[in-house]
Amino acid sequence: MSATAAPTRSRARDLRLALDQVGYAQLSFWLNPVGAAFTVGFSLLFLVLLGATAGHSRIGFLGNIRVIQYYVPGFMAYGVMSACFTMLAVSLVVRREAGLLKRARLSPLPTWMMLTGLFGNSLLISVVQVVLVLAVGAVAFGVSMPANPAALVVALAVGATCFSALGVAASTLIPNQDAAGPIASTVFFVLLFLSGLWFPIRAGSGLATVSGFFPVRHMIVATFSAFDARPGVTGWAWSDVLVMAIWAVVGVFVSVRRFRWAPWRG
Amino acid sequence: MTSSASAVVVDGLSKRYGAVEAVRDVAFEVERGEVFALLGPNGAGKTTTVEILEGFRERDRGTVRVLGFDPADRSTSRELRERMGIVLQELSVEPFLTVRRTLARNAGPYPHPRPVDEIIELVGLGTQAGTKVKKLSGGQQRRLDMGLGIVGDPDVLFLDEPTTGFDPSARRGAWELVRALSGGGTTVILTTHYMDEAEALADRVAIIANGTIVAEGAPGSLGGRDRAEARIRFHLPPGFAASDLPVQVTGGRDGLLEIATNREIEVLARLTRWALDGGVDLVGLTVTRESLEDVYLELTGSASEPEPAGEAPRVRAGRPG
Repeated sequence: MSATAAPTRSRARDLRLALDQVGYAQLSFWLNPVGAAFTVGFSLLFLVLLGATAGHSRIGFLGNIRVIQYYVPGFMAYGVMSACFTMLAVSLVVRREAGLLKRARLSPLPTWMMLTGLFGNSLLISVVQVVLVLAVGAVAFGVSMPANPAALVVALAVGATCFSALGVAASTLIPNQDAAGPIASTVFFVLLFLSGLWFPIRAGSGLATVSGFFPVRHMIVATFSAFDARPGVTGWAWSDVLVMAIWAVVGVFVSVRRFRWAPWRG
Repeated sequence: MTSSASAVVVDGLSKRYGAVEAVRDVAFEVERGEVFALLGPNGAGKTTTVEILEGFRERDRGTVRVLGFDPADRSTSRELRERMGIVLQELSVEPFLTVRRTLARNAGPYPHPRPVDEIIELVGLGTQAGTKVKKLSGGQQRRLDMGLGIVGDPDVLFLDEPTTGFDPSARRGAWELVRALSGGGTTVILTTHYMDEAEALADRVAIIANGTIVAEGAPGSLGGRDRAEARIRFHLPPGFAASDLPVQVTGGRDGLLEIATNREIEVLARLTRWALDGGVDLVGLTVTRESLEDVYLELTGSASEPEPAGEAPRVRAGRPG
């Protein structure tokens, strides 16, 4: 009897099944128009508002660049962080409490395929936001392209990994679906504020030192570095990438230790 | 013990959460194609037992085999789950997908799923196939849940309180579906606290209380109620003493006399002949036998009341202390 399943199982079928999970996650995301608009539209909205109001003032300590030239990498970083951290944290709590994770666990779908769906979905939404922010920045505000595209890809990729791991970790610390949105967004926005998303922070300042303990600042700095065209700047921000990598390890550690499939009770 | 005919074998199963012993030394076997009901109050250990069978929870001690697999064995869990179907207590699907897509998505991981349209017809969601799940009514969502449980064409189906929230006709429909599945050779493990559901569906019932099985058997013979004495009750006619009656009174309660007997036809014949001959009325005359609910309440203790079955109230047999 147990041999009956064998002929139908193959590497190709498994790969297809894993990709299906990304497809269904994407469908679920885009078929919820309000959620999709808020997630993807938020970074664009802020970019346009800030660009239209303050975009042409200049930042002396960053080589006298226009503010919009700082905001574009900032909101690219924001797009990745929100799609990975906030979205994963909230959706994992909602799915856990609704019993979706339990159902997934009890289905023959291997765990790695379910994770492929979750992370693939966040990654695709990250890419959409990065491309949209860069396109709007270039077309509407004439922002210059990254000076070091390879450094940009590395910063965004390590950032996506780090914030995905932290998103899963955060979900294991949030008790219920009603608390998920407020907790995840509050933590995220306080860190964004301290880390210089809304206004650039001078390296070495007290605020930079404090926010330097957390990964958000390093994500913004590493992404900005790839755009930094000042002479003598390579665009590689290895120390920032390293800090994100360390946070990624912390996130994975907490996730593996604390992850639960069943709803929390009591 | 582990005959190949058994779909589920449980022996010496124990599980504790901290100081609480949730399940203690539970043992039962379920044959292929059988409908087996676990009946018990909330917190009795039903869910823990079923979750261990499903491979969702690890056991502390004991043997568990489902279709010959150990559900705790990760290396065969995919193979086992391909042949297992589960209907959970609450609807747990993506709210923004349609009924058809939800079923197609859940059919994906199974090697030999049933056609999605067939399932839609079976659970009676034909007109809602293109509806987003979040727009379904409560009853429709429960029916979708049933569809998700059987879309993989399972050999073993776990039903956790399957008809909670169903209206009476949807309930009959779900019962018909379970009977059809069982008739087709699917083994069904059912948890419920509806007595009539267990009675209508189950080939065998196990009553579980405080983590142990306190009774097991066919619903009609559970707790020996098929062999139990019938109880004949009536008001003593005015002007008569119990000793005037042609039969031996064994007890009384709430102003009623009670005769417990295994020979109820004979006793009734003598009693009614006496009444007819004397022109005496036997007010409130009833003959009852213990209901499954009586057995259940007796075995699980009255602390946890079962939910009303949604039918006319039953006459509850009074038991002599």
